[in-house]
Amino acid sequence: MTDIQTPQSAKWWKKTDVKRVFLLWIILTAVIGYVGSEVQARSMGAPASEVMASVISLIRIFTWAAAPVAALVAALAITALMEKRHYGDNPPPDALHQVHTSPRVNGLWMAASTVLCLFALIVGLIVLQKDSASLLDAKAMNVNVTGQQWVWNFDYVESNGVRSADLYLPVNKPVVFHVSSKDVKHSFWVVQMGIKIDANPGYVTETAVTPNKIGVFDVRCAELCGLLHAYMQTKVHVVSQADYETWLKSTAVTQGAIS
Amino acid sequence: MTTMMERSASAPGHSAKRKPLIERLNIVTALALGTVSAVVVWQLALKFMPDNADTAFFFNREDKISLLSLIAWFIGFMVGIGALIGPFRWLLGKDLNHDENMFYAGKDQGIKRYFRYTTDHKVVGIQYLVVTIIIFFVGGVLAMLIRTNLGHAQGGWIQPQTYNAIVGWHGIIMIVATIIMITGPFGNFVMPIMIGARDMAFPRLNALSFWLIVAAIPPVFISFFTGGITTGWSAYNPLASQAGLGMNGYIAFICIFALSTMVAGANITTTVIRMRAKGMTWNRTPIFIYGVVASVALALPAFPVFFLSQIMSGLDRAFATSFYNTTGGGSGWLYENLFWIMGHPEVYVILIPAVAALMEMAPVFTRAPLFSFNIAVMGIGGICGLSILVWAHHMYISGWAPLLSAPFMITTELISIPTGMLFLVLIGTIWRGNLWMTMPLMSIFALLWNFMIGGITGIYLSDVPADAFLHGSMYVTAHFHYTLMGAGLTGALASLVFWFPKMTGRMFDKKLSWVAFWLVQIGFNVAFMGMFLVGLAGQPRRVESYAAMFSRGNLITTIGAYTIMAGMLVLLHGVIISWRSGIKAPMNPWQSKTLEWTVPNPVPLENFDVLPIVTGDPYHYGKAQS
Repeated sequence: MTDIQTPQSAKWWKKTDVKRVFLLWIILTAVIGYVGSEVQARSMGAPASEVMASVISLIRIFTWAAAPVAALVAALAITALMEKRHYGDNPPPDALHQVHTSPRVNGLWMAASTVLCLFALIVGLIVLQKDSASLLDAKAMNVNVTGQQWVWNFDYVESNGVRSADLYLPVNKPVVFHVSSKDVKHSFWVVQMGIKIDANPGYVTETAVTPNKIGVFDVRCAELCGLLHAYMQTKVHVVSQADYETWLKSTAVTQGAIS
Repeated sequence: MTTMMERSASAPGHSAKRKPLIERLNIVTALALGTVSAVVVWQLALKFMPDNADTAFFFNREDKISLLSLIAWFIGFMVGIGALIGPFRWLLGKDLNHDENMFYAGKDQGIKRYFRYTTDHKVVGIQYLVVTIIIFFVGGVLAMLIRTNLGHAQGGWIQPQTYNAIVGWHGIIMIVATIIMITGPFGNFVMPIMIGARDMAFPRLNALSFWLIVAAIPPVFISFFTGGITTGWSAYNPLASQAGLGMNGYIAFICIFALSTMVAGANITTTVIRMRAKGMTWNRTPIFIYGVVASVALALPAFPVFFLSQIMSGLDRAFATSFYNTTGGGSGWLYENLFWIMGHPEVYVILIPAVAALMEMAPVFTRAPLFSFNIAVMGIGGICGLSILVWAHHMYISGWAPLLSAPFMITTELISIPTGMLFLVLIGTIWRGNLWMTMPLMSIFALLWNFMIGGITGIYLSDVPADAFLHGSMYVTAHFHYTLMGAGLTGALASLVFWFPKMTGRMFDKKLSWVAFWLVQIGFNVAFMGMFLVGLAGQPRRVESYAAMFSRGNLITTIGAYTIMAGMLVLLHGVIISWRSGIKAPMNPWQSKTLEWTVPNPVPLENFDVLPIVTGDPYHYGKAQS
């Protein structure tokens, strides 16, 4: 193909492009950020612990941080798609530029993605630090969680001998779960409290949370554990301290003969 | 010994003028000999294997017998297809002569060469293509069974045992299909022509890698009827040691498939390093070649680990060793580590060639130079390098090593930087190009969209506190479908349409490619957006029934899944009618500048009369600036 020079439109960027992309970028950032974070946060429901609240805000923050990137790619792609389209069985003429690379664009892109990556890392590490610190709370109550195909059992360490299939917790009291399994691997997931830890046969793993809302929540197994994995779920009843004491007593009485 | 066995299985015995052995072996003798050996070993083992049910685990004896039978199947099949003729003749000191080598290459054999141990890379490419389509078909049917079962809450009409088996089966064969979907058909057919070579560096290894996959498939099919892979595709121990005999089929399947991947990896890497045309420096090597090499080279360290992990799993089952058995001193965490040391590089084994293929198409369909070739190479290299250091992000909540969470979170999130580079290259190429509206071009836009969603949700999941909530939920399932299917499969389907003219000599039906594209992409986004939402609401993965609150999201997903199925059926229809009676393709229908378009249709044996000499990169599109 002969090179017919077209000096007028040989530029890679035009002013109108920049304006259009910028406008699209702002609009799309707002739309993606808002819709993305709202839809996700709403799907997750109301949090029943600080941990879950911070998971929801993490998702919000990440979505807002990612929105400009997604919006930029979308804005560029849409603009490119709107500009020069060619239908037919034969190829269109060559593009009017020969830009092989642009150190400035590359540098900018890499700098921006590095900054965003570091931002995500730092935010994540701060929350992680907070979550791990809660494991060391000396005032916490302890619950031994045992998974077996396909039920959960809860032993309340401070109340010798009390065992239940539904989990009962007093509100606003830190609790540490010591999780293990009798057979295969399970995963102990208290959905609305945002905590999860695997139950491994032969090992004890730990996770901690402070429920801050009275109500009934879900415990589900999150690791395929055989035939009835889908049905390996139970409830968490978060109750007031007084109700919890009452429940402990009545359960201790009924289980007295067994333990 | 070898030849004796071959003869007994394949020769009718009465023929006077016997064709040489090499010409009599094909897929029929392979299936026959494989089946016969498996049945014979099975019966012998049943008879003579001591009954030790009192002293060992319940399944012990049956496990030994079924594993032995599967090994016998494998050896029988490989002997029957003729994989050992070459080495055997070499042992005898009578290496194959020119005519025999030509026969091996499939010279003048028409359709028959596709059913033989043929070494021509183009035959192997077509074989891979057909097998990939078949596996996708089966995997797709299984996916539809899963989605139908999950269509409404409590409506599970599939029994839990069967459901789990379907999930495991869908998982593992789709993983295998996506691993081979680009490096198999296009890596084999197109890659050697693209670099200006007459064939692969090791043509016999090429045939071996393909027939190993064929040998691997029956065990995984049989496993479905002997208890199934009820563990999901990851086959975690100790659940796997508890599972029925179907697990042995999984073990055999993975071991054979891993062998195939290792063989193909060594072959393709050597070919690209040693056999590029004169003048094709690394800077002039097409980006697709980088993608293929990165993929198979990444598989080279990954798949031996997979192989080993399954050997250990088999030993635990059959010989009551305790690699993964806690009571015997082993650990399930060992399995998880081994599995994910393979498992995370493996997703990039799938993804990189898909993105690279679309990068290859981007300049062709925009008539503009590839933007920042060097950044593309750096991105691919960066992903490869980092991807072997991120495996434990699958184990954040396993309890194995809480202190390692932070370092693995760092390496995982760093991957977003090289991944971003790939986005930059695609966007930069499309920018101010003359877009040629074809299905491959739109696939680039689809990839940008899907991979963006897959990538961003990947960052959420890489974050330890967020993962503590999301791990094991449907959110994860949606995320990896966005990357492997939304990005990977999109690239593979575009490759199919793009290279179809060279591979079959006919154009892919344009209208059908558009219909399929939109059905698949729209259905895909509907399906997996719904899945994200139920995941966020707390639905675990791999469940065969769910709480009523998840009904709406699951219904959306099921509707989307049916749309995908419609699209894939249209595509299959397109493949069949285009292949049979499509418009005859010119030599270079897309006016591309890579070497595979400089050879005529159909591509002659050994591709080039005179080997080409390369004088520039293949991306010099666009008009020069004044």
